[in-house]
Amino acid sequence: MITHPVPAVRTYVLVWVGLIALLLLTLGSAFIPLGWGNAAINLGIAVAKALLVVFFFMHLRSAHYVLRIAAAAGFFWLAILLGLSLTDFATRY
Amino acid sequence: MTQAVVVARQFDDPQQQRKASDLGMWVFLATEILFFGALFVAYTATRLHDPRAFAIASRLTNLTLGSINTAVLLTSSLTMALAVRATKLGLRGASIAFLLATAVLGVAFLGIKFTEYGLDWRDHLVPVIDFAHAGAHAGGVESFFYLYFFMTGVHSIHLIIGIVTVLVLARMATRRDFSPDYFTPVELGGLYWHLVDIVWIFLYPLLYLVARS
Repeated sequence: MITHPVPAVRTYVLVWVGLIALLLLTLGSAFIPLGWGNAAINLGIAVAKALLVVFFFMHLRSAHYVLRIAAAAGFFWLAILLGLSLTDFATRY
Repeated sequence: MTQAVVVARQFDDPQQQRKASDLGMWVFLATEILFFGALFVAYTATRLHDPRAFAIASRLTNLTLGSINTAVLLTSSLTMALAVRATKLGLRGASIAFLLATAVLGVAFLGIKFTEYGLDWRDHLVPVIDFAHAGAHAGGVESFFYLYFFMTGVHSIHLIIGIVTVLVLARMATRRDFSPDYFTPVELGGLYWHLVDIVWIFLYPLLYLVARS
């Protein structure tokens, strides 16, 4: 029988508390008029929530580097897709 | 211990087999990231074309139901993570309970989402079928709702697949298919569930929070 190091229940619950706190923060900030600042805050908080899920719930924090590279590759190609598309669309108007 | 781990002949040991499964799953998830990524690019381009229309349209979405649903889905990710943890530790009862809780939360999300679709239908916000919105930005508002229904619709399909997967995993757990030596299906199902959650984490601000101030 192999024993696997698993994070404590407490860790998972704290991550969930953090996720709900970020949800309330993004919801609350949406009511403060900041122009494009609202979009920036919303996206920043979404990225923070995604990182919490990826590193703790999906265990990338303790994963083998090959898995980290595979995960990073997905987001890297997404960045190319977004970046190169925006060189057109963001400069059109 | 109910059954020994079956190691396929191309692998040296169970650990190597498990690493290969994890890698395969992450490669699949990368394709999912790019699949949804194309939709996010379409959203960005359309929003840049007519930002005012997206501000108007976003205010027509149901913020209360959208926010509650975000909390429901984040909580389902917690129960899924705890299900994977319990399975790894061989806690069969807890594993089944957390898997079922995850499925229940997933169904709750869909119930709220479809209630919301009903309200959108009532408000004539369904493009092509029944869309009525006047004003200078009507075209842009309709584009927003095309994207709204397509992105949330595709997300819901993923969630339905996730719910079926989690229920199958719960059934397998009751048959004692998993042990601390073998829990790959639960782990991979968990990765899928969390990715569907991440997609919603981005959909929520982009669809519901564009211009609330």
